[in-house]
Amino acid sequence: MTILPTLKCMTVAAAILASTTALSFAKELTVTVWAGGTGPNDVYRLDAIEIAAEQLQREAAIKGEELKIKVEKKAYSGWEDFKQAMTLAAEAKTAPNIVVTGHEDIGPWAQSGLVVPIEDYVDLDSWPLNNIYENLMDIASFSGTVYGIPQDAESRPMFFWKPHMKAIGYNDADLDALPQKVQDGSYTMKNLLEDAKKMQDKGLVQPGYGFYPRYTNGPDFWQFYTSFGGTMEQDGKLVFDKAAMQRAYQFFADAVKDGVTKKNHIGMPADQWWKEVASGKAGIWHGGTWHYARYVNQEGLKDFFGNVIFTLIPAGEGGKANTLTHPLVYLLTSGHDKDDTEIAAQLIKIASEPRINVLHAVKSAHLGISKSETEIELYSSDRWTREATERLLPYANAMPNNADFGTYWNIMWKGLEASWTGAKSVDAAVNDVEGELKGTLGDKIIIR
Amino acid sequence: MRSSRTLGLIMIAPAAIMIVLFFLMPVVLTAVFSFTNMTTATGISGGAYQIAPNSLIALKDEMPEVVQQLTEPRYAIDEEGIKGVEGLALEPGIARELREKHLGEVFSSRREAERMIKDLTDRPSTRDVKQISEQFNRSVANLRFSSKEDLFASLDKFGFKMTPEEKEGLASATYTGWSWTTENFSRIASSPDMAQILFNTLLYVALVLVLFNTCYAMLLAIWTHYMPNVQATIFRSVWLLPRITPVVIYVLMWKWLAWDTGFISTFMGKFGYAPKNYLLDNAYNAWLFVVLINGFIGASMGMLVFSSALKAIPKSQFFASEVDGASRWQQIRYIILPQMRWPILFVTCYQTLSLLASFNEILLSTRGGPGKATEVWSLAAYHTALNNYAGNLEYGLGAAMALVLVIIGIILSLAYLRVFNYATLVARPLIED
Repeated sequence: MTILPTLKCMTVAAAILASTTALSFAKELTVTVWAGGTGPNDVYRLDAIEIAAEQLQREAAIKGEELKIKVEKKAYSGWEDFKQAMTLAAEAKTAPNIVVTGHEDIGPWAQSGLVVPIEDYVDLDSWPLNNIYENLMDIASFSGTVYGIPQDAESRPMFFWKPHMKAIGYNDADLDALPQKVQDGSYTMKNLLEDAKKMQDKGLVQPGYGFYPRYTNGPDFWQFYTSFGGTMEQDGKLVFDKAAMQRAYQFFADAVKDGVTKKNHIGMPADQWWKEVASGKAGIWHGGTWHYARYVNQEGLKDFFGNVIFTLIPAGEGGKANTLTHPLVYLLTSGHDKDDTEIAAQLIKIASEPRINVLHAVKSAHLGISKSETEIELYSSDRWTREATERLLPYANAMPNNADFGTYWNIMWKGLEASWTGAKSVDAAVNDVEGELKGTLGDKIIIR
Repeated sequence: MRSSRTLGLIMIAPAAIMIVLFFLMPVVLTAVFSFTNMTTATGISGGAYQIAPNSLIALKDEMPEVVQQLTEPRYAIDEEGIKGVEGLALEPGIARELREKHLGEVFSSRREAERMIKDLTDRPSTRDVKQISEQFNRSVANLRFSSKEDLFASLDKFGFKMTPEEKEGLASATYTGWSWTTENFSRIASSPDMAQILFNTLLYVALVLVLFNTCYAMLLAIWTHYMPNVQATIFRSVWLLPRITPVVIYVLMWKWLAWDTGFISTFMGKFGYAPKNYLLDNAYNAWLFVVLINGFIGASMGMLVFSSALKAIPKSQFFASEVDGASRWQQIRYIILPQMRWPILFVTCYQTLSLLASFNEILLSTRGGPGKATEVWSLAAYHTALNNYAGNLEYGLGAAMALVLVIIGIILSLAYLRVFNYATLVARPLIED
């Protein structure tokens, strides 16, 4: 009779023990992801992490572990709010586990310890990370350490409104040959301004709409500096090529002087700009590969290829045709439990798999991050991603991941704005930029 | 008496704490930050020592060999490391195989060492690979040390022969944190842009203050004073609309008005003028709009203060002056204005200080443009401290700019207190004590 209670006790004890063992494998966590500059076409920047979480949970279940991951997503449509929120939250130790941001943030954020190297958590030699384009992995590194995983690639082409080009004398064959002519350097910035002027003179576009550049500060403007022979960084040191910057500033000052670009163009309402470039109100403009998604989805430009032709940014005097890739990267922030960071790293790794990343690439008209991605039918059958990858990506530069690049950039933009709006002459603007760079960055920048 | 004093202190304590936390502390912190070179890259809470190739660029000329050695990651499979691996309680075969097959091997990068580890028969998981490779790290490259002592200890441990001076030089070159400096103020003093921004600020404050916050507000108050009550109330309410409309929407309405496709362009188009962005067309236009936007918001406060002050003037004075045949202008000149001295001074003082610090309407309408034409001091401080495309916010310089503004504000406040003759206002009443 005493056996039964003993047995009962033992059974209960065993059950308790078993449940605690099971509990020891169970892990529940919330992974927070924030993404900057993320509009309705870019949802997969965040959703990819959710898909990855589902996959990682299944993988854990096979290994007999119970893993429950809740993904909390937050998209910031702009960059200012996002960067303020992220840097201040990270200082207050309340940063999200994962951030999706421009690669140029890696420099300052890594130096201050706000982000941790992803190479401490993942095997870079294993798939899919070993399949990501080598140059993109370099862009996601700082000082020889891989801090992030590229989330997308893109480039920033020059767009031409085909009907206007035809109206000023180009035929279909000329237009088909234009990308190659730009690449060879036989169609230059000078030709671009001439064509823009012709469009205006013929009354195809209003004054100031011939060349319709980006209306806010952004990475695009470094392309013009490169186009006129400038170098951003050399052997780890920033470079300010005075003559090249002067030629780049002069280009915009000339565009305003010729009347093909508006003096007051900077700061115009975003919606107006998008509508005008997608409807032929502007003749020639520059933008990003992802613009395609907005033109087609939100701006109602149904026949993109019938109306628009895209090329590299043409060469200017002293430089060559180029484009700039500004990949966003997945970064891991510091201040979290090591195990949680490791799971966040695994999620990033899974989210970088071609089938998942291709959803973002095609939906948002960004470019793929790996060779395998271009072989997936969804990608290869999409004319935009295919052509943009082939024609632009091989010629793409990137901005340096240098902790002081932001300071350089601010000063450069200030000079460009001043010479564009006529607040300063080009010479005065370049001299002021030089003076401010010397005063601010000292020997951290080579001035030549 | 003692107990009533204590009670008084207790009663005032919440307010005192609030004042210290929300008024005094921000100013003190701004002052502290302004004497640092703090940015996102240096962090706020303090730095670390990191031997990254980038941070050693400055030392390349001074001690090239040391720099070369320091930046090269080196992974050596030695007995000490293998003992460390044994301590990790992994599969015993891992340490055994490392000892038997790889003892004495040296790898120049972590990746190469990890490739070897991944090829072991008992293939460890990625996490274990990282733990194992760490046991063999014999270099300081890319490591972060929270203190100088830790850095020096590691240098000694890995056998780097360096003099104390070299170590100090290395420490200062690889320190990632902020340091004390007065450079922000010399940058402010020497930059031609800052002079322009200061001029913009003075222009902005003067125009809005004189044209709208005082003169126009006074005009509105006098107009409504002579109106019948109902009409006056409606009129005043209308003028309050810009103040109570959310500023984002209010400024957006102005932007719609001034766009290329906005109301002004459409209207002017009827007369053959090409559409243009009137708001940003040139610096003069931008200034006009900035002053109008802020003026229409700011005029309402002065209007309310002046209106109530007007109501306090005994009606008998107006009746008497009318009997004497005084015109409206004479009433304004000899009755209203002399009695409005204090309200005018108050509005001037209050609005000067608030205009100096306000920038949200400018940020939303012109963002300081075109060019930097409408960039005022507080907006420039905001742009510097909290807005950088490349994620590197310059807290130190921004704080220094804010501090300049605080100092100007304090000086002006003291000046106004003197004009108001504050001592007389708060003098003890003669009938007590």
